[in-house]
Order: sequence, then structure tokens, then C-alpha cells
Amino acid sequence: MTLLEVSGLTVTYGGAVLACEGVSLSVDEGGSVCLLGANGAGKTSVLRAITGLLRYHNGAVVHGSITFDGRSIIGADTSKLVASGIAQALEGRRIFRDLTVSDNLRAGAFSARDRSREKRVRDEVLQLFPPLAARLGQAAGYLSGGEQQMLAIARAMMAQPRLLILDEPSLGLAPLVVEQIGASLREIVAGGCSLMMVEQSTALALATTSYAYLLENGCVTHHDRTAHLLADERVRASYLGTSAGQAEVAAVTGEKAR
Amino acid sequence: MTTFYQLLFSGFALGCVYALVALGFTVIYRSSQVINFAQGSLLALGAYMVSWFAIDKSLPFGLAVLAAIGVCVLVGVVFQRLVLRWVAGQPVFVIVMITIGLSIVIDASVSAKFGANPRLLGDPWSSSAVHPGGVTLIWAKIWTIVTVFGVLLGFFLFDRYSRYGLAMRATAADEEAAMAVGVPTRRVFALAWGVAGAVATVGGFFLATFPNQLDPSISAVALLAFPAIILGGLDSPAGAVVGGVTIGLVEELTKGYQPAHASWLGTNFYVIAPYVVMILVLMVKPYGLFGRAPVERI
Amino acid sequence: MSSEVRVLGRTVSAAGLIAAGSVVAAAALTVALPFMLNAFWLSTLVFILIYAIAALGLNVLTGYTGQVSLGHAFFLAVGAYTAKVLGGDHQLMALIWIPAAGVVAGLCGLIVGPVALRLRGLYLAIVTIGIVFIGQHIFLNVDSLSGGPQGTAIPSVQIGAGAQCQPSCSVDFSQGTSLGGATIDHNALYYYLSLFILVLGMLFVRNLVRTRTGRALQAVREREVAASLMGINLVRTKLAAFVISSFLAGVGGALFGSYLSFVRPQSWDLILSISFVAMIIVGGIGTVWGPLLGAIFVAGTPTVLNHYADSVPFLQHGSSSGGLSINEFSSIFYGALIILFLVLEPRGVVGLAGRAIALAQRLARGPAIPPSTPLPSQQSA
Repeated sequence: MTLLEVSGLTVTYGGAVLACEGVSLSVDEGGSVCLLGANGAGKTSVLRAITGLLRYHNGAVVHGSITFDGRSIIGADTSKLVASGIAQALEGRRIFRDLTVSDNLRAGAFSARDRSREKRVRDEVLQLFPPLAARLGQAAGYLSGGEQQMLAIARAMMAQPRLLILDEPSLGLAPLVVEQIGASLREIVAGGCSLMMVEQSTALALATTSYAYLLENGCVTHHDRTAHLLADERVRASYLGTSAGQAEVAAVTGEKAR
Repeated sequence: MTTFYQLLFSGFALGCVYALVALGFTVIYRSSQVINFAQGSLLALGAYMVSWFAIDKSLPFGLAVLAAIGVCVLVGVVFQRLVLRWVAGQPVFVIVMITIGLSIVIDASVSAKFGANPRLLGDPWSSSAVHPGGVTLIWAKIWTIVTVFGVLLGFFLFDRYSRYGLAMRATAADEEAAMAVGVPTRRVFALAWGVAGAVATVGGFFLATFPNQLDPSISAVALLAFPAIILGGLDSPAGAVVGGVTIGLVEELTKGYQPAHASWLGTNFYVIAPYVVMILVLMVKPYGLFGRAPVERI
Repeated sequence: MSSEVRVLGRTVSAAGLIAAGSVVAAAALTVALPFMLNAFWLSTLVFILIYAIAALGLNVLTGYTGQVSLGHAFFLAVGAYTAKVLGGDHQLMALIWIPAAGVVAGLCGLIVGPVALRLRGLYLAIVTIGIVFIGQHIFLNVDSLSGGPQGTAIPSVQIGAGAQCQPSCSVDFSQGTSLGGATIDHNALYYYLSLFILVLGMLFVRNLVRTRTGRALQAVREREVAASLMGINLVRTKLAAFVISSFLAGVGGALFGSYLSFVRPQSWDLILSISFVAMIIVGGIGTVWGPLLGAIFVAGTPTVLNHYADSVPFLQHGSSSGGLSINEFSSIFYGALIILFLVLEPRGVVGLAGRAIALAQRLARGPAIPPSTPLPSQQSA
């Protein structure tokens, strides 16, 4: 059953700059999808349209529809969307640096679907990201880069989402940390939460998602099962041109097989 | 020595009021990086409303204070929701200018309603006092200190432990991230303005108890809280309290000792002493005693 | 319709001709204004021009360099008292004390500058409030300079006065003069002088922002740290902005005092400073025309409101008794106008003018171009 359905989405900023045009994609209940593309391809704009953050950036959906669980969510307030089950972690982690790890998690539960379960949810989330459990009282700014990313995802999970949206979770992280986060994400998906992520690097996408969309210049040019898409010669040629990218893919694919 | 204790007491009481005024600035600055130049006018509005409810409407004093707080909170929240939400994202100085516009409107409305002549506040203490060890402790000032401590304690508990306190801190730390995790930031901004209105009212009527009369110049007192918020650091509520008390003590001690011991500094030097202290402190610590330098990405 | 005509052997587009014509007409109107207005309007206009000179300075500091100062009133005061000392106490010519007022204020800017160099944003704004208060305290206490709380007289501008010149060729601005039969009164003389200085100032600022220094100022505004990494000397650049700003404030202050002929220390207060900030923000921050447009709005609105409030029936004079007086009504209206204006057009009058011009051009071009082209809807694959 389809959980999130985006069709014909066109987004502009300031009424003039076209960020993406006619983008269609869908995420199934319990599915995992990634949106691949280079810098400036419009990935983040698609996410903002879904999560209601476009207005904050002076952007607007000028065409197309977005439905979540069968209801249109265009123009909805972000906090309402979080309450109805869409949680996100922004690009660049964006944790509250001065707040403690524990307060960061509490903030994530502000609009949670069921606030009475906050304590239990927190325990579950900390099991997903064990390094955080030891650092609850510390200011989040003192965490390492990997731990900060974990906190960003954990904070989003505190809302007990049905759909978790991540913007470039592997940005600037060491491969080993990416691997750890990939494992946690697979566990999240296995627990029934749908996952949608935007990535530039393909390693994490391949390790955690089953379906992929390739976004180029604001349009979806290819979409297929993640493994197929990344095996496609044309995609490799146009998108994964570097041999480094291919090596990365190979490494993680091997990792997954083991 | 009695004089010293006397000055210490009145300086501390005055400092408590400054702390409240400073807290009003800090709460709004933290949520939106804007200095609310209408804070002084809210202070005046609050004090006049207390007087109006207590004397003209014959409400019991406690009830009059609550009603006045209600009015100021309403003005703050309505202004935020009706005006400021439309200029979110505009340069800070456009927003600051808009708060100056609000201050002009409030000041003129207050003086239109109440005139320029001083009026009584309607507080129950008049000038009764206790005299332990030769020091005169006016009840109004004792109540000032007690109440301000109560209000500050309440604010810090709210800020630290309540859900919306957390939401305020999260929004202050990173507005977009707060939105992204589901904090209703618009409600948080309105809340900040509500809190500012409430503390302005309490600060306003205690300020008016000092000479025990109320006139329109009270709105200028907020200007004296500027050194307090700068000393404490614009974004630190705890700093606002320390800064406020410091400025109150500096002002009263200067008032007490400067005319006799440093008359060359001119008459009424106590009025600007807080500013002198502020500039000296900023020379050493450019972001105040508790504020932090913003980390800049290049 | 042919859109080009030949003028003096050159081909000029119709639009260019219209533009040139409007400039000439505007210049002629500007010169003729004193003969068309009564004393009330002319005096309002003189204040607007003087305010605009000082606001122009603040715009260099705040608008172009991004250093917000609420201390502008202090530098106006320095200019006014320089005029008093040089022109009044020492009987020097206006040709000397007007520029000297700027120079002395500029030097004060140089002294205050280092304080400001360490601070940014609103911290700077609040410290400059301190400068206003400390300045007022000094002026209130140093009677020889300012006359203390009672105030002091500021000399009127005199040109060609002194022993070198016959009375016939000297002009005392407090008296007025006649030129070829036409009487040019006190107000008109100050009008022309302020206009002349304002135009010089605007030309200077317009050229400044195109120079290396001007670009350095704007780089500091955009990203201070990045600017210093690019090799811009932050200390020198900020000090330059402070000095230019204070210079223009000093000149404006000297004219202001001279036109009023008498000033008290209480007038150099925070409210005066705030009104300059209001002028550049309402006018259009970081633009050459902004300060003048803002001065028209900020200095003109309350005056005009007070003038016409007589015709509003429910208002009363005087305010001590309570009830809505003229002053309060105009204040409320003025405050509300600032709020409304900035909510609707945060870029100020200049932004509004830009919109109006764009609209006029669109109307002139005719309705050939539809307002927006709908984006083609795409079906996804």
C-alpha cells in the first residue's frame, strides 16, 4: 500500500527559480526509497515540499500533488505533519548544539504521535543508537560527527514516525560510521517504518533502500530498484562517473553480502 | 556603614526590577535575534493597567496585577501574530524598526488615555517600612525582591523543564531544525512575546512603587536595562539577572557616593554610570559576561 | 508610433527624452520651490534636507557597512557645538565652521570607532546608545560649551561677513537677502544651502560606493570575516565608515543648530538617533536616495499630521488632561504608519519606487506580455 505519493511536483523559489519540475515518486508502507542526484539537482526541494519547510525558504509548490496516507499534505504545517507521522533529519545534522542529548531527544518528541509513550520510545531509540545512551547529559555540540548524525536520526525517531525522511545522512562521515548508521536504518525499516532518503553518495543508499529515483536538473530521469539503477550503465556513466564512486558501491555491496 | 547597607538594599531591589526588564528583552532576542524596543512601552502599559484596574475599576490589587498581565500578554501576542509573522526573514533592523513603531503607538495611546500627570499606582504598601539595625527597608522593595525572585524562579523552571520551555530553547538554537522536528515555532514566538509582556507588567508596577507614582517617563527606564542585557549577554536569561542586579547596585551606589566623593563627574552621574560600566566591560568581553561569540561559517 | 526623435543632431529615444525632460523639470522645480511655498512648508522642507544630510552619513555606516549606530545624535551635537565655539565664540566665517563641524565630529568618530571595532550587530547598537547618554551628560554639565540645561545660541550662517567685505555683498542667513528684486528670506537661504550640501553629499556617496573603499565597506557588511580574509583592512574600513558618517552628522548638526538658532543638550537624545535609523530604513537602506526619501517620511509625516490635525473634529489641543490630543493622534498614526509601511514594503520607499517604476514601464509597454507564463504540466514516466 502506498504511504507517500508525489506526483507532477513542481517547486519554485521566490516565484522565479525553478527547483524541480514534474517530479513523481512514491513510498510504500514499510518501503525504503532513495533520491539520488548531484548538488543542485533539486533533491532537498522535493523533501521540503513533502515536509512543509518550503515556505520557510520562500519556496512554493506551483504544480502537482503530494498525498500522505491518502490525504493531501501540500501547505500543511510541519508540526502537524510530524504529528501525523512524517519525521525528518535535515541536511548537516542540525542538532541543537547547546542542548543536552536528552533535551534534543525530548524536543524530537514535541509533536509525537503518542506522547504518553515518550519514555518507552526513548529506550527503543537509544537501543538503535547505543553510543547516545552514555551521553544523555552532555551538550550535543560535544558529540562526534557520527554521533551527531545518530542523534539527528534518533531525534526524528522520537516522533514515532511512519515515514522517516533523511537528507544526506552520510555527509562528511567516515565509512565505518556510515556502515553503523546503515545498520540502524535497516533495523528501523525492519521495524515497520518507511524510509525516504536523499543522498549524493550511493553507498548508504544502496545499503538501506530498495528503490531509487535519479534526479537530474530537477527532473526524475531514471527510477528502478536501487541495485538495478546503480548497475545501469547509463546511470553509471552520467551520475557515478568517478571510479571512486564505483569502488564505494562495490565495497558496500560486498559488505551487505557478508 | 548604615548608608552602605541602605544603598545595597535599594540597589538590589532596583536591580531585581532591571533583571525582569532585561529578561523580557532576552526572551525575545533569544527567539528571534531582535531587540524589542517596545519593551519599555509594554512596561509602562503594564504599570498603567495595574493602576487603572486597581483604582478606576476598584479591583483588589492582586487581581489588578493579573488583569494587567493579561492585557500586556495579549498586546504582545497579538502584535507578534498580526504584525511580526509577516516580516519573518526580513533583516533584523527592519523588525527592530517595527518594534519602535509599536513603542510609539503604545506610548502615545497610554498618554492619550491617562494624560501626562503623575497618578497613583494603587499598591497596598504605600511607604510603610521595617527598620532592622537602623536600615530602612521599605515594604514595597521587600516585596519587589521576593516577587522578582519568585517570577525568575518560575521562568527558569519553565525554561528548563517544561515542554514549551524546551521548545523555546530549541527554536533559539536552530529555528529550522526546531520546525523540522515538529516544534510549532510560530506558537513559540508568540509565547516569547507573551512572556515578555508578562515580565514587563511585573517589572513596570514594581518600578512605579519606588517613587510610588506613575508617569509616562517610566517607559524610558527600559533604556537603563540595556546595559544589563549587554553585561549579561543578549541571549542569556541567567546573564540578564546578573546584569540587572549589577546595574541596579552600580546605579544606587553611584547615586549615594559619587556626589560627595567624585563630584567632578557632574550632577546626576548615576544615570549614566551603568553605561560607563557597560562600555568598560565590553572592552574586555565583547559579548558580555555570559554571552557567546557567534560561530561564523565563511 | 516612432519611438526615436532627433534632438540637436542626435538620435534620442522617446523614453530617454522623457527621462531627461523629467530631470530638468525636477531640477527647475527644486530651485523654484522656495518661491512657491509658504513659510510653514518651506521650513519643514529645510528640516527634511538637514535631516537627510545627517541620515546620508548614517547610511554610509549602517546601510553600506552594516554597522548599526544609535549614537548619531551625539555627532550632530558635536557639529552644533563646534559651530557655536568657532562661529559664535571665535566669530569665524561659516565657510570655515560648517566644514570644521564635520571635521571635529569626524575626529570624534575616530575616537569612538575603536570601541565599535570590537563589537558587532546589536551589541554595537546598544553601546552607541551609551554614547548618546554619556554625551548628553557631558553637554548638560559643561556649561561653557553647551550653556548647560538652559541651552545656548548657535550662530546663523553668514557669508562674506567680516572686514574684507562691504555689507552690500554679505549675506546674513538670519536676515534674508534680495537678489535682483526677488526677496530670498531666512528659510529660503537655509533651503538652498542645505540643498547644495545634500547634493554634494549624495554625489560623494554615489561615487564612494563605486570605489575600492566603497566596495570594501559593502564587503564588510556582507561577511566581515570573509572580507578580512580577502585582504580588506577591517580596522581601516570601519574607521573610514565611522569618520564619513560622523562628518556628515557634524555638518548636519551645525546646520540644524544654526537654523534653529538655539539648542539645548536635551535635544540630542536617543529619539533623535532613532529617527535617523528610521529614516534610512524607511527610505531604503544602502541606497543613495534612501536617506532623503526617508527624511521626507520621518521628518515630514508628524509635522504634516500636526498641521492638518486641526481639521480632525474629535481632537483637542494640549495633552495633560488626557483624551486624544493632536500630538498623540499624530504619534499613533505615525507609529502605525511605520509598522504598516515596513510590513508591506520592507525595502522602504526606494523599494516602493522601484515597484512603481516597474509598473509604469509595464504599462508603457502595453499589455503585450502576459503577467506569467504557466508552466507546462508534465506527466511522470
